[in-house]
Amino acid sequence: MKSEVDILLIEDSLDDAEMTIRALKKIKLDNNVVHLENGQEALDFLFAKGKFETLRLSSQPKVILLDIKMPKVDGIEVLRRIKSDKRTRMIPVVIMTSSSEEKDLVTSYKLGVNSYVVKPVDFENFTRAVVELGLYWLLANRSTQ
Amino acid sequence: MGSTTLQKKGEKRFSLKDLSIQKRLPLLICILLLCVIIAFGLTSYIGVKKAALEMGRERIKTLSEQLSSMFGQAAKDLTSGTHTVANQPPIKNYVLNGGRGPDTAALPVLQKLQLDSSWILVELYNAQWKPLLRTGATELKLNKNLDSVISFSSPGPDSCKIGKLVQVGDSIYYAIVAAVTDHKQFIGYLVRWRLQKATAKAIAQFSELLGSDVILLVGNADGTLWSDMNKVVSAPPLDTKPKDGFFEYATPKGGQATSTIRPIAFTPWFLLIEVPQQRLLEAANRFRNWILILGSILLIAGIFAAWLMSRNITKPLKTLTAAAATIASGDYSASVEIGRSDELGKLAGAFNTMAQQVGNARYNLEKIVEERTTQLQKANKELEAFSYSVSHDLRAPLRSISGFAMILKEDYVARLDPEANRLTDKIITNAKMMGRLIDDLISFSKMGRTEIDRQIVDMKKLVESCVAETLQREGENKCQTEIHPLPACYGDQNLIKQVWMNLISNAVKYSSKNPVPRVEIGCTESDDKHTYYVRDNGVGFDMKYAHKLFGVFQRLHSQKEFEGTGLGLALAKRIINQHNGDIWSEASTGEGAVFYFSLPKSKLP
Repeated sequence: MKSEVDILLIEDSLDDAEMTIRALKKIKLDNNVVHLENGQEALDFLFAKGKFETLRLSSQPKVILLDIKMPKVDGIEVLRRIKSDKRTRMIPVVIMTSSSEEKDLVTSYKLGVNSYVVKPVDFENFTRAVVELGLYWLLANRSTQ
Repeated sequence: MGSTTLQKKGEKRFSLKDLSIQKRLPLLICILLLCVIIAFGLTSYIGVKKAALEMGRERIKTLSEQLSSMFGQAAKDLTSGTHTVANQPPIKNYVLNGGRGPDTAALPVLQKLQLDSSWILVELYNAQWKPLLRTGATELKLNKNLDSVISFSSPGPDSCKIGKLVQVGDSIYYAIVAAVTDHKQFIGYLVRWRLQKATAKAIAQFSELLGSDVILLVGNADGTLWSDMNKVVSAPPLDTKPKDGFFEYATPKGGQATSTIRPIAFTPWFLLIEVPQQRLLEAANRFRNWILILGSILLIAGIFAAWLMSRNITKPLKTLTAAAATIASGDYSASVEIGRSDELGKLAGAFNTMAQQVGNARYNLEKIVEERTTQLQKANKELEAFSYSVSHDLRAPLRSISGFAMILKEDYVARLDPEANRLTDKIITNAKMMGRLIDDLISFSKMGRTEIDRQIVDMKKLVESCVAETLQREGENKCQTEIHPLPACYGDQNLIKQVWMNLISNAVKYSSKNPVPRVEIGCTESDDKHTYYVRDNGVGFDMKYAHKLFGVFQRLHSQKEFEGTGLGLALAKRIINQHNGDIWSEASTGEGAVFYFSLPKSKLP
């Protein structure tokens, strides 16, 4: 199984995931989006373990959108694992969270997050934020790959 | 004002109470000793002085008596000797012959009377004082004064006298006159003149006997001449004529002198012994010096003893003070070892007990505080976790509500009837409202926990950006704004901005129903603070509700009139209070409101 992934969305809230994907759809960036519902799945996916053992990615995702508060393995832990493994270290990671806690922000930047976005409460702003993120990380930003 | 203070300081007088005990005790003992020493020394000195003077007088009286009797004895010997010679036959015959016979027999007799060089002249007179024969220094004109020297106004037979002292040139002479008698008749006089001159040996003996500073004078009883046995000296400064007795006077050389005068028997002379009082008081002065030395030694010893004693008292006190200071600085292990069982020892014991109890109490207190702090920290953590949950878990469903309502509106607007659209709008509005409420609540609860980051805030610039932001958000620019000069403050820029945003948006919001809305922003200054204000001409409020204004969820207007969460002013108050400032307002219904907040003029770093 070989596939290309542009955006890896790691989000336990199906509602938020749906709204995110809808926003990306508006700017036609929804083709290569993979949505995973928790941290453990995300790690398995990235390091080809568990149910993703047979997964062979042609390239790493162009950006990972990561929620913090998730069951089992939370976003901070996922971020730590991504940034401490040389295979995944170069992937841009954007934290998208409802939490505006200073503690989470500081920890994330210490771990090397590329961007930290507080999910706007209202839908319009939320949609706008996702659109800007998608445009920036997929089109404007030049990564190492 | 400054000079008054200075004067007051200068007027501060010395007080015993300001002295430490260690100094006070020796000072008191010193004063006491000094009083005793002075009183004792003075009375005994006066007594000793009086006794010394008495003794001195007694001594010079004895001396003068001895000397006078010695001189008198010598004078008696001289007169009787001369009288014997005067009545020897050769003299008698010569006088009887009227001086006309040969002098071969008389002259050797006269010459024999010149025992040494001091016997300067021997003369022989007849009864009418006509000179008959003379031998020696005949050139001396002594006889001219003879009448005044010896008055023989009523001479008796066998009489022989010594005359007054006579001065001729630098020398002093006296005459011994013996009557020459025959058959109890005056027939002539034998006169022997003698130079009064004490030999060096005699003077040395005198001064050894009397002392070098004692003056011995011999003078005529009528006070006409005084001599020191060699030459004429000035008369002693007596206030009366010389007479037998004691005198006291100031000598021309300075100093007080005591003298005694006694007549010398068989002569018309007085003898005077003058002793400087200094000499008489020598013993008394020695005694005074001893008293002074002893007194000083006693005083020093007394002060030293008192100092030792007071140190003995104050040393434990100092130890106690040091221990108390140690305890005050937080070290409760300090204890005092004085090693005595008097009052100070008991005090030290009580102190140690107290220190131990205070130490224990503090230890317990610390334990309690520690426990409470742990509990508080736990509660605080729980509260943080709670607010974290609130911020995350309340937002997520809310976003879903508003998100899907929006999607419904976007995707199905054509298929929903107007009522359904209106209800969808209601869902969206309320979801937004609740979102703001959550944001405000979170920042309100955060305010109590976060440190404020102080810096210099350019208020003018900040207010201008807040006004611009507010007007842009409101979308209508019909509100007139006037911004007066605003001094900078020292505070957390983000927090102060929240306050301004709140007050400015309130002013814009509540004045929006005025046809000519106007907002004025300025500042007044007092000694220690700046008071900033925001004035509007909006709906205002009744002052009886003013106290409710800054409470959580307190609103004076309905949501329908003016929307709001009821948290904005509560948050502003929290922020200003954290900056050690005050916030308040003045208003009346329908006539606008003024909101003030003051910030202390802290020293800018």
